[in-house]
Amino acid sequence: MTAGVSVFAVSCTAKPTGARTLQKQQQLGQFLAEVERRALRIAEIGVRDRDEALDLVQDAMIKLVRNYGGRQKDEWTPLFYRILQNGVRDWHRRQGVRNRIMVWLQKAKPDDHDVIASAPDPAGRSPDEELQNAEAMEAIEAAVNALPRRQQEAFMLRTFEGLDVAGTAVAMGCSEGSVKTHCSRAIHALRDKLGEHWQ
Amino acid sequence: MNKTDERLAEQAKEAFDRSVDGLDAASLSRLNRARQAALAEAVRPQRARLRWLPATGAAAAVLLAVFTLQGPGEVDVISAPATDLEFLLIEESIEMLEELEFYSWLATQELEGDGDRG
Repeated sequence: MTAGVSVFAVSCTAKPTGARTLQKQQQLGQFLAEVERRALRIAEIGVRDRDEALDLVQDAMIKLVRNYGGRQKDEWTPLFYRILQNGVRDWHRRQGVRNRIMVWLQKAKPDDHDVIASAPDPAGRSPDEELQNAEAMEAIEAAVNALPRRQQEAFMLRTFEGLDVAGTAVAMGCSEGSVKTHCSRAIHALRDKLGEHWQ
Repeated sequence: MNKTDERLAEQAKEAFDRSVDGLDAASLSRLNRARQAALAEAVRPQRARLRWLPATGAAAAVLLAVFTLQGPGEVDVISAPATDLEFLLIEESIEMLEELEFYSWLATQELEGDGDRG
């Protein structure tokens, strides 16, 4: 009898839990769809390779869903970027080892030409506009890449992703004061580099 | 941040947003597939966590079989499967260590949060 009551109690609570899981999954899907394109570009600026950036974003998505999907929605953005930035840092470490091995083996990476990636702009912009945008972004990317890693992270999370200081601190795993310092130094360095083109 | 710095940040953000809007169809398609793959993890977390179990189990079975057939005196014969087993465990350990760093940071955050509330 007691066992029967327990089974009944479990089956009664199972439905709302299932509904909550489905709702959570929908929320996660919506969150990832909102964040994925900016995350891809931020990762791409970090590693300077679209394919590698796509892999890093996918890893970050899986880790977020697997480990933190049950957390509150408003915690997902800083957690997601925390995972992504860890991924970018690990990628640089691995790349350092790989480069040393490649130098040792004296092998060069083959140059893959992606026909789809080089197809015309789907937004229908003119070649002149495309060139202007590409040049502007190229200048920013080069300047951001020249920054120390922590300044890069702080600047991209604050400016490109639009995280507030507290969220950026969570994503970077440091204090809010450090975020402000990194950001301020990044802006000054960028102003020095880009100043002549951007004033 | 002064006016010049604000303008610089705005211009950088505008250029970034344009580059996000201009992402090609192949990349958007890959993002979509990545999202679906991640969401599939939400409904099968146990299977994903145990993905190394069959390989580790198989390596352990080979090790045990060789050890049983050859006897404890044949140290050279069992060294190769033992090395494979170590590789499998090392791969798993790296992933676990990555997570441990994150868990440790989260625990610190939670402790700080409790401290702030208390």
